[in-house]
Amino acid sequence: MSSSAIALPGQDLGPVSSNTVGAGTHVYGDHLFASIAGPVHTTAPKPPSKAPPTLSITRPTGALLLPEVGTTVLGRITRTNARQANFSILALGSTGDVVLAEPLPAIIRQQDIRLTEIDKITVAGSFRVGDVVRAVVISLGDERAYFASTARDELGVVMAVSEGGNRMVPISWREFEEVGGTGKKEARKVAKVV
Amino acid sequence: MQSDRRRLNPPPGGTAPPVFATVPDAKPQRPTRTRKPDEHRKLFLRTGIVPSASGSAYYEIPPQQQQQTGLLVPQRSSLKITCTVHGPRPLPRNAAFSPNLLLSAHVKFAPFATHNRRGYVRDASERDLGAHLETALRGVVIGERFPKSGCEVVLTILDGEEDGWGAGGTEVKGGGWGIMTVLAGCITAASAALVDAGIDCVDLISGGVAAVKYAGRHGGQEDGVVVLDPAPSEHDGEIMAACVVGYLQSRDEVTEMWMKGDAGTQVQTLIDEAVKAASLVRAVLAEAVKDGVQAKVGEAEDEAAMAGSAKEGKGKRRCSGIYEAGHLDDLLVRTPF
Repeated sequence: MSSSAIALPGQDLGPVSSNTVGAGTHVYGDHLFASIAGPVHTTAPKPPSKAPPTLSITRPTGALLLPEVGTTVLGRITRTNARQANFSILALGSTGDVVLAEPLPAIIRQQDIRLTEIDKITVAGSFRVGDVVRAVVISLGDERAYFASTARDELGVVMAVSEGGNRMVPISWREFEEVGGTGKKEARKVAKVV
Repeated sequence: MQSDRRRLNPPPGGTAPPVFATVPDAKPQRPTRTRKPDEHRKLFLRTGIVPSASGSAYYEIPPQQQQQTGLLVPQRSSLKITCTVHGPRPLPRNAAFSPNLLLSAHVKFAPFATHNRRGYVRDASERDLGAHLETALRGVVIGERFPKSGCEVVLTILDGEEDGWGAGGTEVKGGGWGIMTVLAGCITAASAALVDAGIDCVDLISGGVAAVKYAGRHGGQEDGVVVLDPAPSEHDGEIMAACVVGYLQSRDEVTEMWMKGDAGTQVQTLIDEAVKAASLVRAVLAEAVKDGVQAKVGEAEDEAAMAGSAKEGKGKRRCSGIYEAGHLDDLLVRTPF
């Protein structure tokens, strides 16, 4: 990866034959042009591939403004019912690198909480209101909400508070334990600590 | 007219600006155009001035020459525009699904911006300006990269160019040409703010304005002279037609054109001159945007370096933007000619 001078929107970055379009660029005719103002990065493709290098431009404030399909997001559960859990996306990136100015609504459906035994799962046994979850966006969804999924080991509840109001720590892939207080265990779909 | 109960209202009969008696020996000189017909005035443009917005820009055409002493009335008005961009942000809950970005542009004159005080509620000319601006920006924003989102571009005109020249009690002939220069400024300011917000654009759009004026004063010859960047106070009563364009230089495309008046045989020349004005403005726009991005990149690098090293007490926060008083003169960028 190498970075170079700052490109402005509309700046010609080269012909399409010698550069692949990346984030922040667009194709017009047979040339690649910049779409945003920022430093240009050239990424060489992995050795087996013979494709030309990818040119991309990153925004100084963060790579993304909105989540795309496949983006890992962090959010807080706002509502649960028998079929789905509603949460609001607060930040993009698995460690919350890009904090959104306005939270976006999203939904995790019952069948997207886990990979295995999805018909036996209960939403109440996986999430509670107020939990902070890490999920991946699987679809733009409808006008109301994005669709997200926690069906991977590293996805799920990251932080939770017990019913008594005490902090909890994860002890297995499906339980949190209260720190102090009564030391009770509560069932959640826990994100693997990486 | 019903009084506005939410605000402290001015006197119901309206107010008039003070008319100062002129000092007998200091005769107010009517400003005339001293620059060449294809020369643009100096511009000031800066991005990143509103930290709470996604993107922002401040655009100003300062008065070009010094005031004559002995007069309190400003002889040359200036144009000052502030633009903020909010977005992309989620659409309201009852809005339909939209695969593209929903752009909305709002233009508002501040009540103190013009000689005759404007109201707080948007009137027809401001809505018209907003519609023209939206047309210009629609051609430049890549909407399909922002589904289910909206973006709001809000412009406030702090000082609008006067239509005529009102010093010394002379009558303002008007004609409504000042609004054309205002639109050109709005397009440029909005473009800078959109790029500052990081919204994908096809190119930098710049606004340019040109006018056809009578070759002699008030009639005489039939063919008019086409001038670039008309300042209405310099051309009071002389303008026959004017044209504003929103121009994309790298594609040689015009996304918005607004022509007023009767240009006679010079329609094509008028449009070409307006495009030329837009090209001159683009040089200033590119430099201002580049400075803004470099400041942001520098800030991001500083923050990353600070986060890496040990934290000592409170971190320094470097402010960019127009907080440095007294350095505005250094930043006036001259358009090349």
